[in-house]
Amino acid sequence: MAKFDTYFALAKEKGIEVFELYYSRAKSLSFKLYNAQIEGYKLSEDISLYARGIYKGKIGYASTEKISKETASFLVNEIITNAGTVTKEELAIIFKGSDKYKKKNIYNPAIAELSIDAKKKNLFDIERKLKAADKRIAQVDACSYQERESEAVLINSYGLKLKRKSNYYYYYASVLAIQGEERKNEGDVHFSNDLTNLNIDTFVNDITKKVLSKFNGTQCASKDYKVVLDKEVVSDLLAAYLDSASAEEVQKKTSLMIGKLNQLVASKKVTISEMPLKKNMFFTYFDDEGVATYNKPIVKKGVLQTYFHNLNTAHTDGVQTTGNGYRSGGKIEIGFRNIVLKAGRKSLEDIFAQIGDGVYITEVMGIHASLNPTSGNFSLQANGFMIENGKRGVPLTLITVAGNLMDLFMNVKEVANDNKLLPNGYDIPSLWIKKLTISGK
Amino acid sequence: MISKTLASAVLTEATAFGADFAEIYLEDTLTSSISMENGKIEERGTGNGYGAGIRVLKGLQSAYGYTSDLSKKSLLKLAQDVGKAFSGPRVLTPPALQKVKVKEIINLSTQPMETISVTEKIKLLNMVNDTMSSYDKRIIRTNVYFNDMVKQVTIFNTLGRFVEDTRRRGRMYMIAVAAENGKIENFGEGPGASDGFDFFTSKIKLKEMATETAKSAIGLLGAKECPSGKMPVVIGNGFGGVIFHEACGHPFEASSISKKLSVFWDKLGKQVANPIVNAVDDGTIPYAWGSTNVDDEGFPAQKVQLIKNGVLNSFMIDQFNGRRMKAEHNGHSRRQNYKFEPTSRMTNTYIENGPHTVDQIISATKYGLYAKKMGGGSVNPATGEFNFTVSEGYMIRDGKIAEAVKGAALVGKGDETLSKIDMVANDLARAQGMCGAASGSIPTDVGQPTIRVTEITVGGRGGGQ
Repeated sequence: MAKFDTYFALAKEKGIEVFELYYSRAKSLSFKLYNAQIEGYKLSEDISLYARGIYKGKIGYASTEKISKETASFLVNEIITNAGTVTKEELAIIFKGSDKYKKKNIYNPAIAELSIDAKKKNLFDIERKLKAADKRIAQVDACSYQERESEAVLINSYGLKLKRKSNYYYYYASVLAIQGEERKNEGDVHFSNDLTNLNIDTFVNDITKKVLSKFNGTQCASKDYKVVLDKEVVSDLLAAYLDSASAEEVQKKTSLMIGKLNQLVASKKVTISEMPLKKNMFFTYFDDEGVATYNKPIVKKGVLQTYFHNLNTAHTDGVQTTGNGYRSGGKIEIGFRNIVLKAGRKSLEDIFAQIGDGVYITEVMGIHASLNPTSGNFSLQANGFMIENGKRGVPLTLITVAGNLMDLFMNVKEVANDNKLLPNGYDIPSLWIKKLTISGK
Repeated sequence: MISKTLASAVLTEATAFGADFAEIYLEDTLTSSISMENGKIEERGTGNGYGAGIRVLKGLQSAYGYTSDLSKKSLLKLAQDVGKAFSGPRVLTPPALQKVKVKEIINLSTQPMETISVTEKIKLLNMVNDTMSSYDKRIIRTNVYFNDMVKQVTIFNTLGRFVEDTRRRGRMYMIAVAAENGKIENFGEGPGASDGFDFFTSKIKLKEMATETAKSAIGLLGAKECPSGKMPVVIGNGFGGVIFHEACGHPFEASSISKKLSVFWDKLGKQVANPIVNAVDDGTIPYAWGSTNVDDEGFPAQKVQLIKNGVLNSFMIDQFNGRRMKAEHNGHSRRQNYKFEPTSRMTNTYIENGPHTVDQIISATKYGLYAKKMGGGSVNPATGEFNFTVSEGYMIRDGKIAEAVKGAALVGKGDETLSKIDMVANDLARAQGMCGAASGSIPTDVGQPTIRVTEITVGGRGGGQ
């Protein structure tokens, strides 16, 4: 990385007190199948260079994808201009480094080593098996493979230098099934950095079972129900819930968890941890500020243990950073990796039996628009099933599920034992919620 | 960004293994953003997006690759790697490249964004911030963001086409957060255009918009939870057009039509709506947020009549999906940037004015929801099922606007909802949004006059009525 020496020299010469570069490079390969033919093929190479600098006590940011002779002066000049524009009173910090880092190698060379033909064969198998699974499957409208590897280096003028490298692959397929006038679709993704855990038959069966179970969908009466939220739905809602545990939101007074430290923010059945050091493809041993990450409970038996902090929010609150400074654009905000909601003891079937009559929600749509993070209120398009006489009953379509995020987690009656690591890095079980409002007929 | 000679060499290399079409898309984009919270500048950021995408087609197959390294060596290597996705003898010798003159429909401002100083932009942000925060003491937080960009695009293809285009866009987001008795609500607006700074200083009434934003946030504090169930819904003008965008716009895109995935794939020439419904997608509106001089395949933007007197008239088509449909592309191929292969997308999509007035619609509705302002939504083009959220709503009782309600989501099926529009007013307005799909996030306008839908499922927390 000697090529960045000139950047640091120029930054120093122009009066930037502390200078930092985050350089990332990623390569990916993907292809997609349509009607037993490779329809699309894609190769990519991403380069990004993010720079931060402290100038006259203020922090400035700039980024570029263009690496040329002029890049150093572009970044340095922009940092100086941008730092001069900031009027918010905020401590300008670039990190000197943690005492200890728990580095692990998670890069799996086997992904790139497997032949393209083998990967294509998997894709052809998936498409063929999906088409053969049931005559109501009218189309496999998406069937694709992608692999991506990325490496990044963080270097600053204090002498800190941290590197990370990771890779993953995924297979994605979705089908359109038609029965009479009813059109239903369903897709799934197998996302991993371990080649050995791909089971094509299971993958195909899951999609097929799910799509066919949606036929003869109906709408239930509009009222409050006992509700089971499937793990994928829980993961969508949990992302919004945990945003409230961001110290940035708390300090801005728009969090739903203001003043809730060491208090109940969920039912006692709920324990949520952040495990950035868990060895999987979401592993990271440092955050984007260069702070060593560590595993920690966020909500333990319903009690909020900590907010997520970066260096700045920690300084404001007079605490230590929790290693949750992640970049959003140029600026460091709050993020988290590898969220685990601890499994309960009961199976989904046991929970259905205990509920007797209720609603099982398997999908929600439009969360970006229909969940208000400030109030926590949501009203979401949903699909699912009735729970009738203790068993999964008729499918429900075009219903809405409405509630409040905080109430929802306070009202967790039971946590199922069906945890799954989902593509967003959340390891999540299904939840029984005492009451939610369903709108249908 | 690269010479014509190098472009020819790259196109020749890319077509060595049987491709019947090749294209190079290059961009150099400078972005600037300012974020203000409670009147303080939190951040000003600048960025430079830069790279090239090479695409080759062979019948119904495509291959795409991109890089930020625009050296001769790198581009020729990428062309070869992408071209090798196919195997076979050369079927095409790229013709000489001819520069195509671009008709400017955007970029006409005398105050292009890059000539405006940070200080001037901040002055404007301060005005919006102060207007919102001084509106009412219950406004506890204000955020104002200003983003602008200059994107320079060059496209070369094996039809001999060489196009250079510059796109300038600017957008402001304003958010007012109101609180009272432990309740917190927020409201936002995001005006934008493919225009200069004068759009914000003189073409729109920014101060009034800031006042309205604060007023709407305060209004939500007193709003009741929306009742749920099926009911008539009157959808307000402007951003209300998001219903048409989600329910019909996406399913009218060639990407889902060509594979017969859309519920509308076989409905061309058929009555799909009440004869009072007319709808267009028009990428040629001067200065509009979703307008483009040329699409991302280098062809001029077009105005397409999607629905004429309730009859499905046309789709939005790109080259690749046009092949499968055996239909001409019509200036609707778009992408976020060089990292995306282009596909059929919307530009400025709206329902045209109809025969009614807003008053006639309200007074003709005995009971229902008046969704005055809409938030975002999403659609599944394969099933036509959509959802979107109401950001400002009122109940209609006995033909009159009654109490304010909040928290409503509208869900339905695109084709059914389209056929249930029974009244269309004459107050057409457009509003700005970012639309996400296969080729990334792109600026689009939605729009409509006030309309009435006879029945939509409304999801709220206020229970059945």
